Formats: sequence, structure tokens, C-alpha cells
Amino acid sequence: MPHTTRLSIVRPWLPFVLSMLGYIVVLIISLRVLAQGIPDGAMRVTISLAPMVPALFLGWSILSLIRSLDEMHRRLQLEAFALAFAGTALVTFSYGFLENAGFPKLTAFTVWPLMCGFWIVGVVMGRLRYR
Amino acid sequence: MNNIIQELRAKRNWSQMELANRLDVSRQTINALERGRYDPSLPLAFKIARVFGLAIEEIFVPDATE
Repeated sequence: MPHTTRLSIVRPWLPFVLSMLGYIVVLIISLRVLAQGIPDGAMRVTISLAPMVPALFLGWSILSLIRSLDEMHRRLQLEAFALAFAGTALVTFSYGFLENAGFPKLTAFTVWPLMCGFWIVGVVMGRLRYR
Repeated sequence: MNNIIQELRAKRNWSQMELANRLDVSRQTINALERGRYDPSLPLAFKIARVFGLAIEEIFVPDATE
């Protein structure tokens, strides 16, 4: 019979935490190197994209985390992701059409925080629903 | 769907955490099951029945509308 211990709670989060730390470290190094004035070209592109390598591990660690959840929490996450998916589509498409009406162009970096915000709302709603 | 999980658990003096460990699910899932907020999958329902030594239909009762 499996028992819930502090280690069993922490262990599934380890790859996520390590990947996140790796991402932060590589991002800082990448930004510092780019600030030194690397000329445009393959090297600059490679250094700019370097943080995406630990980000790939981050994605894998999130998948592992989802797989370690029990069935009710997986359903909760599915509903939260669905809300984030639909909410982000509605907002980004609406804003895209507003850009045609003269609204300022926004960077693609705004999309993920928006999706993350919707996901947090979805998780809170799910926790209230299933509590 | 209604169930008597809370009653069966109380008879055995198990905490929600203890039952959660026996079923390999979280304590929150036990709470949601007991409150009727979440209906388990068939495999989990079989597991619950096995833990209590009963048949599924002795634990889970469909709502009148189901």
C-alpha cells in the first residue's frame, strides 16, 4: 500500500524545479552574452534560443507531473487547460482584429502569461468545484 | 451518483488520508468522492469496492434522475 510521505510529495516536483532552475540560469547567461554585442547571425540566434533547451525539459517535467496525478486531479487539469486554451484564443484573436483597427502591436511574449492566467483561474474554479 | 464511502470509512476508523493511501489517490479526491462532487472511474470504483470488501452496487447508488 503506497503511503503519502513528504518525499513522495516532493519527488514528482524535482524535475520541474531543476528544469526551471536550469531555464533561469541559461536565460541569465544568454542575456548577458547577448548584451556583450554578439553580431547578428547564426551565433546570435543560437544564444537567443539557448534557454529553450532547458524549457524543453520543463515541458517534459510538466507532462510527468500531470501523469503522476490521480484521475480527479487530471480531470481538473483538463478543464483548466481547456479554459486556458479557449480563453487565450478568444482574447488573442479579438486583439488581433483590434490591431487591424489601429491598436498597438503586442509582442508574442504576452500570449503565454495570458494563457497561464486563464489556467490559474481554471485550477481555482476546479478546486472550488471538486472540494 | 450517491455513495456511502464516508460511512464505510467511519466504521473502520480510517482517516481520509488513510483511505487515500489505500486507494493510491489524493486526500482531496476522497473528500470530493464522499461529498458526491466527483464520480470515480470504473477501475477506481472497483478498487474502492475491493478495499471495503463489498460489491460496487452496495457502495454506489445512482441518483433518481440517472
